Amino acid sequence: MCTPEERALLQLEEVFSATLARVNSLVLQPLLAAATEPSDAKDRECLQLLQQLHQSTQQLWETVEESLCSLRQRLHSPESVGLDALLLLRRPDHVLQAHKEYIEAYANCVVAQAFQKAAKKQSQYWRGRRKALRQLLSGGGAEGPVGTVLLQALRQPLTHHVQQYVLLLLRLQDTIQEDHPTRELVVRAAVVFGNLQSFAGQELDQAVATQALWPTLSTRPRDVLYSPARRLLLDSLDVPVSVTPLRAERVLLLEDALALVQGSSVHTFDLKLVWLDPGPDRRELHLLTPEEEFSFRAKDPQGQVVWQWKLTQAVCQALRGKKDFPVLGAGVDPSEAPACRCTAYTFCAEGRLFQATYEGEWCRAKPHGKGTLRWPDGRNHVGDFYQGLEHGFGIRLVPQACEDKFDCFKCHWKEGSMCGYGICEYGTDEVYKGYFREGLRHGFGVLESTPQAPQPCKYTGHWERGQKSGHGIEEDSSRGERYIGMWQADQRHGPGIMVTQAGVCYQGTFQADKIVGPGTLLSEDDSLYEGTFSRDLTLLGKGKVTFPNGFTLEGSFGGGSGKGLHTQGVLDTAALPPHPSSTSKRQLGLGAFPVESRWQGVYSPFRDFVRAGCPGELREALLGFHTQSSRELRKSQEYLCCDRSCPEDGAGSMEAVLEELLQPREPAALRQSLKKALSSSLHPLGKLLRTVMLTFQAAYAGFGANKHLQQLAQEEVRQHARDLWAAYRSLLQVALQRKGQTLEDEDAETRDLQVYSLMLPLVLPSFYSELFTLYLLLHEREDNLYGQGITNLSLFPDTKLLEFLDVQKHLWPLKDLTLTTNQRRSLVQDECFLSATECLQKIMMTVDPQEKLEVLERTHAEIQATVSRVLGREQQLPMDDLLPLLIFVVSRARIQHLGAEIHLIRDMMDPMHVGGRYDFLLTALESCFEHIQTDDMRLPPLPSHVDGGDLR
Amino acid sequence: MMAIRELKVCLLGDTGVGKSSIVCRFVQDHFDHNISPTIGASFMTKTVPCGNELHKFLIWDTAGQERFHSLAPMYYRGSAAAVIVYDITKQDSFHTLKKWVKELKEHGPENIVMAIAGNKCDLSDIREVPLKDAKEYAESIGALVVETSAKNAINIEELFQGISRQIPPLDPHENGNNGAVKLGKQATQSSRRCC
Repeated sequence: MCTPEERALLQLEEVFSATLARVNSLVLQPLLAAATEPSDAKDRECLQLLQQLHQSTQQLWETVEESLCSLRQRLHSPESVGLDALLLLRRPDHVLQAHKEYIEAYANCVVAQAFQKAAKKQSQYWRGRRKALRQLLSGGGAEGPVGTVLLQALRQPLTHHVQQYVLLLLRLQDTIQEDHPTRELVVRAAVVFGNLQSFAGQELDQAVATQALWPTLSTRPRDVLYSPARRLLLDSLDVPVSVTPLRAERVLLLEDALALVQGSSVHTFDLKLVWLDPGPDRRELHLLTPEEEFSFRAKDPQGQVVWQWKLTQAVCQALRGKKDFPVLGAGVDPSEAPACRCTAYTFCAEGRLFQATYEGEWCRAKPHGKGTLRWPDGRNHVGDFYQGLEHGFGIRLVPQACEDKFDCFKCHWKEGSMCGYGICEYGTDEVYKGYFREGLRHGFGVLESTPQAPQPCKYTGHWERGQKSGHGIEEDSSRGERYIGMWQADQRHGPGIMVTQAGVCYQGTFQADKIVGPGTLLSEDDSLYEGTFSRDLTLLGKGKVTFPNGFTLEGSFGGGSGKGLHTQGVLDTAALPPHPSSTSKRQLGLGAFPVESRWQGVYSPFRDFVRAGCPGELREALLGFHTQSSRELRKSQEYLCCDRSCPEDGAGSMEAVLEELLQPREPAALRQSLKKALSSSLHPLGKLLRTVMLTFQAAYAGFGANKHLQQLAQEEVRQHARDLWAAYRSLLQVALQRKGQTLEDEDAETRDLQVYSLMLPLVLPSFYSELFTLYLLLHEREDNLYGQGITNLSLFPDTKLLEFLDVQKHLWPLKDLTLTTNQRRSLVQDECFLSATECLQKIMMTVDPQEKLEVLERTHAEIQATVSRVLGREQQLPMDDLLPLLIFVVSRARIQHLGAEIHLIRDMMDPMHVGGRYDFLLTALESCFEHIQTDDMRLPPLPSHVDGGDLR
Repeated sequence: MMAIRELKVCLLGDTGVGKSSIVCRFVQDHFDHNISPTIGASFMTKTVPCGNELHKFLIWDTAGQERFHSLAPMYYRGSAAAVIVYDITKQDSFHTLKKWVKELKEHGPENIVMAIAGNKCDLSDIREVPLKDAKEYAESIGALVVETSAKNAINIEELFQGISRQIPPLDPHENGNNGAVKLGKQATQSSRRCC
């Protein structure tokens, strides 16, 4: 069954549809027809607005027809078509939308006074049509000027229609049972059209008020502010406010902007970027915008409330980009505008941000959060902002003046300047990777030019306020020079060492990039010059040359141009030839660069980080980050997202790192977890190790592989082990503190034990190849002699060698030998003490000095075991017997570079072992090594196998 | 807890004079709680009390053969004391001893304590070196001297006690660090490059 209300609705729609059709033919069509081919901009605008209105009328009419259709179907067969099939109930928003668009189009015409203008042009025509118009209006109101009548004619039917909608829907609602599902639909539709009613009311009021506003403004402000779609929300003429410190005689709150008008000038503020603070005084209101801050002062507290409420509403509306019309003092409380927003703004005040556009997140009138800043000159910055400044990770591109090249800074920023770790790729193809402070290189960093550059150069070291300062290494590959030493203000200054590709090296004191005063010059043939010389290594001035044979030449030197070296001095040939080891093993830089502070710049950011309690947000500033290359960035031009593949969650986070440190700390587990930490670049310890590896390679790889630097290198490795242990302890301390525990102190002895037995073996592999090369070079001479020695000894069959070494016959392990028929005992080779020999060879399999010592210990045990088996009883060998056997084993093991091995083990050995059994065994091995080099060993009593030329 | 001082002691002397026998006797005669793994008979340790300190002897054997003589500096570098052994039944071994003393004076660590042991005193009937000669020589060089018998355990303890007494007490300044200063280590570090 159909209710009378439904029938009434049908009737309402029928009437409205007919009205709309009439409005169209009577009003809109003639208006449009009259306004063809407008001459000036104003008329063009009018025509446009009328066309829009026409369009929305059409749409509204179609919607009404649709609704009508659904009503007719319902009334025709109420049994089969339910109430919920009505368009009004089924899609109230659709119907609403059509109404809204009509109202807005109408209101725009009101603001632009489109009807009045059009009517004026054809006043004659309209005067004749007054009667027809009157029919459109119910109950009078058709008097007055044509414009007003037209306004009424287009407005009244709609207002009436919506009013009836609400009325009928409310009535319909009462006819339906409480629990019926369609009741809810009806309720909703009633609310929707109720809202539409108030929307229409306010929109039309605002349109009228706005229309009234424009004539009151002088030309310029009007030209700036006028737009037909713009509405006035509040005018200081209605609710007075005064503005400080900006000057404004009138304040206009428009739909999307706040305008301060002073004379003919007008200052507008985008409402999306206006933040409000109620002032301390109840009559004040504080406004924040990106570039201005000002206060409104109302006459009374009520005035302040009105402004605050309206402004808040307007800001919210602007942010939503959608109109809604809550009524002042009615319904819900005005919601507060969000403090954090996302929008774009171009700065226009002089200064750092002049004409720059910021797009991204804002908080309280400042860029805050993620965003992009673009300057008109092509500079741009994408990254994190904090209270208006670059803060956190950010990428800055700075175009080069002429070419299509960029400087790209991928850095951590602090309060607007680079601070912490950063990677900078310059347009010149130079790359800096290192730390910054206040926008300048500061702390440790590596600056490298491309290998293709005309003068390829690489600096690895300390910086201070953008200049090379402190300990640093510079390699100039075009000159074939490497400088290791102190810097100041971008120049070599203080003690330094120069190593050249040719193998010549010198040490001296530098000032303003030049060596001053006497220095030490070592040539490749182990000659030593102490005195003054020039940059191109010409001896100049007083000095003394010590030749490898012990001769000395002391006097003054001078270089004739191209005529060779001139000297006047005394040649002393009386001195005994020095031991070769003392001349060839001279070490440079001893004591010149205290090892404790040599690479402090690498460790200091870490220490600062730990001192700050390892805050997660600074982890990246310490460790660096992984980003796309700048080239990819330039290509994508999509700077708003600068993702870093730096997992903040899971294993990478600082919390996880610290948590892991607290895992069981017994030696084996600790070794494992330290090993893992040191191998991860996301772990602070791993990062430290990587960085010190860079410094080590910068100094000692390539032509820095110079034997005169061995001492510097080895003390550095041990210091790194100490520093990394200290670093581990400081992290552990933070981890414990977070749990409310404290770290127990360790005494010097425990620390040494941990450094040498735990940390050093873990870090040594990272330095081993460069370090071992230095030992190889340093001990080359002995290793060659030793090599000759074992080559000679290898000509001996086992029994001959045992005899030659005076090993007592009863210790010869001959019963181990199984001989084939045509083998004679005297020809057997490499069979005796085979187990010990094979054991000793394992010394080359590891880099861990501790393991090498253990190999040595096992070798000894193997010798003992073999002897005990030969004798058939336990025998503790005294040195008289042990040493010859050990020489036998060493000569058979044929370990290459044994001298380098021994010295490396000794230098890297835990000092705790000094004097102990490891030291003893190593000394025994060293004595074998020494002995094999002696002439004694190179005079074998088997002349048939030996080239007589080798004999001395 | 008593402070432990590690003292490196090296054994010098001709082959066959019983260098390692003396040490074996010294080390094995008494049960030692602090005994650590040793390297056969060529490296042994033993800890003995001395005053309010414990002396841990780290005893390094050397090969006595003439041909290995030149290797000795590696062994005696960093030693706090040297025990130089001769065989009272072999005059030659006393000559060798004198060579060792001379070398130590010239190239050995500074302030090394020297102790002369005339071993095999149980064979005094075939003695070749009179005790008087040994005592006079020892006095002339400011060394300790005892005649020992490793076989019969004569004067072995006394030999090492004598060494203990000759070791200068710790510098009170260095003693601050709970006393555990390793003299041997310091001596070694200061003299490592001397040879």
